[in-house]
Amino acid sequence: MQKVLNKPLTNTFGWLHMNGTSLEIPEETEEKAIVLSPSEEKQLILDDACPNRALHIEVQEGAVLKLIQISRSDERGIHHIEVQLQKNGRFEWYRLILGSAAVYDDCKVTLIGDDSSFTARIGYDLKAENRMDMNCEAVHLGKRTTSNIKALGVLDGQAFKLLRGTIDLRTGCKGAKGDEYEDVLLLSDDVHNQSIPMILCSEEDVEGNHGATIGQLPEELIYYMTSRGIEKDDLYTLMARSRLDSIIQTLPDEALREALLSR
Amino acid sequence: MSEEKTIIEDISREFYDFRFEENAAYKVDSGLTEEIVRQISEEKNDPAWMRDFRLRCLGIFHRTAMPDWGPSIEGLNMDNIVTYVRPNTRRMQQSWDDVPSDIKDTFERLGIPQSERESLAGVGAQYDSELVYHNVREEVSRQGVIYTDIESALRGPYGDMIKDHFMKLVPPTDHKFAALHGAVWSGGSFVYVPKGASVEIPLQSYFRLNAPGAGQFEHTLIIVEEGAYLHFIEGCSAPKYNVANLHAGCVELFVGKNATLRYSTIENWSKNMYNLNTKRARVEEGGKIEWVSGSFGSHVSYLYPMSILCGAGARSEFTGVTFAGNGQNLDTGCKVVHQAPDTSSYVNTRSISKSGGISTFRSALVIDQKAAGSKASVSCQSLMLDDISRSDTIPAMDIRTAKADVGHEAKIGRISDDAVFYLMSRGLSEDDARALIVSGFAENVSKELPLEYAVEMNNLIRIEMKGAIG
Repeated sequence: MQKVLNKPLTNTFGWLHMNGTSLEIPEETEEKAIVLSPSEEKQLILDDACPNRALHIEVQEGAVLKLIQISRSDERGIHHIEVQLQKNGRFEWYRLILGSAAVYDDCKVTLIGDDSSFTARIGYDLKAENRMDMNCEAVHLGKRTTSNIKALGVLDGQAFKLLRGTIDLRTGCKGAKGDEYEDVLLLSDDVHNQSIPMILCSEEDVEGNHGATIGQLPEELIYYMTSRGIEKDDLYTLMARSRLDSIIQTLPDEALREALLSR
Repeated sequence: MSEEKTIIEDISREFYDFRFEENAAYKVDSGLTEEIVRQISEEKNDPAWMRDFRLRCLGIFHRTAMPDWGPSIEGLNMDNIVTYVRPNTRRMQQSWDDVPSDIKDTFERLGIPQSERESLAGVGAQYDSELVYHNVREEVSRQGVIYTDIESALRGPYGDMIKDHFMKLVPPTDHKFAALHGAVWSGGSFVYVPKGASVEIPLQSYFRLNAPGAGQFEHTLIIVEEGAYLHFIEGCSAPKYNVANLHAGCVELFVGKNATLRYSTIENWSKNMYNLNTKRARVEEGGKIEWVSGSFGSHVSYLYPMSILCGAGARSEFTGVTFAGNGQNLDTGCKVVHQAPDTSSYVNTRSISKSGGISTFRSALVIDQKAAGSKASVSCQSLMLDDISRSDTIPAMDIRTAKADVGHEAKIGRISDDAVFYLMSRGLSEDDARALIVSGFAENVSKELPLEYAVEMNNLIRIEMKGAIG
């Protein structure tokens, strides 16, 4: 069955082909509902080859969910995550994509309760003909809610990446703050990078920021490092690795963190 | 600090809202049919290729879907729009004394003849569907610069040049309203600046739509040859009616090798206007396009001037401000396509939303594989002045070479209490502090305009500060 995946909250120019991805959907999808009781803290690691997954998550008052999700198989994976955060609830999403054939992620987080928060740490290392197509949305409804989406990645070979990141500050979410940042290092002239960091805002008493840096390393950095004896090729390898490492270092699971850092 | 809020007034439209009874010499029926398109073509005395082109565009219009993004244009019913209205003057004049008194009075009130005397090298004035006045200073003509209405040029010695360029940058297949424009276009200016010529004083075209329920579809074609320089200013306004008016103009700019074109617009259509305008520039090697854009009027706007950087080292700068008040949904921004090595673009915009107004910054930045060594920077800031308005930022980036350097930043927020506190600690009242911050917010555009126009823009904004400060 053909289905449009990863549709953003609002469309833009059709010729950019960023308004969703039409894809043949396999029938078998692992579907799971997760409910965190008030004040419960939970860590969930999904480091496997399960290609298609739909998670419906409710984080009740004061609860914390840390979800670590890693894709490294050569299969195509379609992941749908829907999260509702109640008062003081917290959702931390750690997403690593390490050369998977094709990943389609749709992560929608609704910050319903006051003072709830969402953090996304996304790292990707795409090579050859790898594809990553991601939609990440933070919808702020509660007062003083915060979202922080940070994505660091590297594209090489003929890799394709599309990241739609949306911070939606709805009427009534007074004191809310949303931040989004993306840094993409491009290593080949055959890569294709698409980014659309959106801020939608219908509330006055809020703050929304986004920033992006895409392309090659800054000339000053290249000059500084090469003048200290590092070859340019080595520098790119080093900087590519450091991008991913800086996401890995934030992982809350020590064993996994160490294993990935020594890869 | 007081919790009470300072009220920032809507832009005053008194200056633009005067109107004269419609006194058209000729107009077509409302709606859009092949017969109407043929009538317009006949009225214009089109060459055969243009008549055929119009009919082809009509077919494309009917086949093309409405955009599935952007503000709603459901309130626009083409069956109610009159696509051609000829004012009560048969010919375009070169002296204001020869322009009919009601039309002349309109442009006098808008200050156009005065600006012409004081600060412009040439003026074109369009009233409804026709140019009624066009003139250019002799010293500018002596450089070989052509500034005339596009229809005379189409039938004159520049006819082939126009045929070669007309709707080549914005093809009618681009979108539904580009096709509409191709079918019913009327009026507009043609500017040709020959190699090496430099027009230091700006030229200005002013478009006034007076007839209720009408559309204005002027076409502006500017060709700036190698090493030449031009500053062109476009102004537009209309009185407010209770029926929808439509503006679907088209601007095509060809910037030659090492040439520079600055294209400034102060748009202040009335709040019943659907402004579905298309502007595009093609920039050759070492050339530069500078867009300066102020969007204040319209009920609904779709406006994204596009720069195609197709020669090595070509550059584009876009500086814009949008102010959306009550009843307005202004979707503005820009598009830049880097198609050649070492090209660069810089986008710097501000938007302000108040009283339920909706302001959207929408952009597309494309750096394709041939554009190695290109650099781009996009910066957009939005200010929300109350919690019944809306402000969205939708910037898209599509990068296809590793040898690119792209930076993007955006901010949405309200007037900072810290900034107000700082200014108040320096002796300003809260009113004055907020006024200063809002005025400064739009300064990116006003500082890029010639002084006279910056003053006009500031008058146009006329941000009045009130409020009970306790």
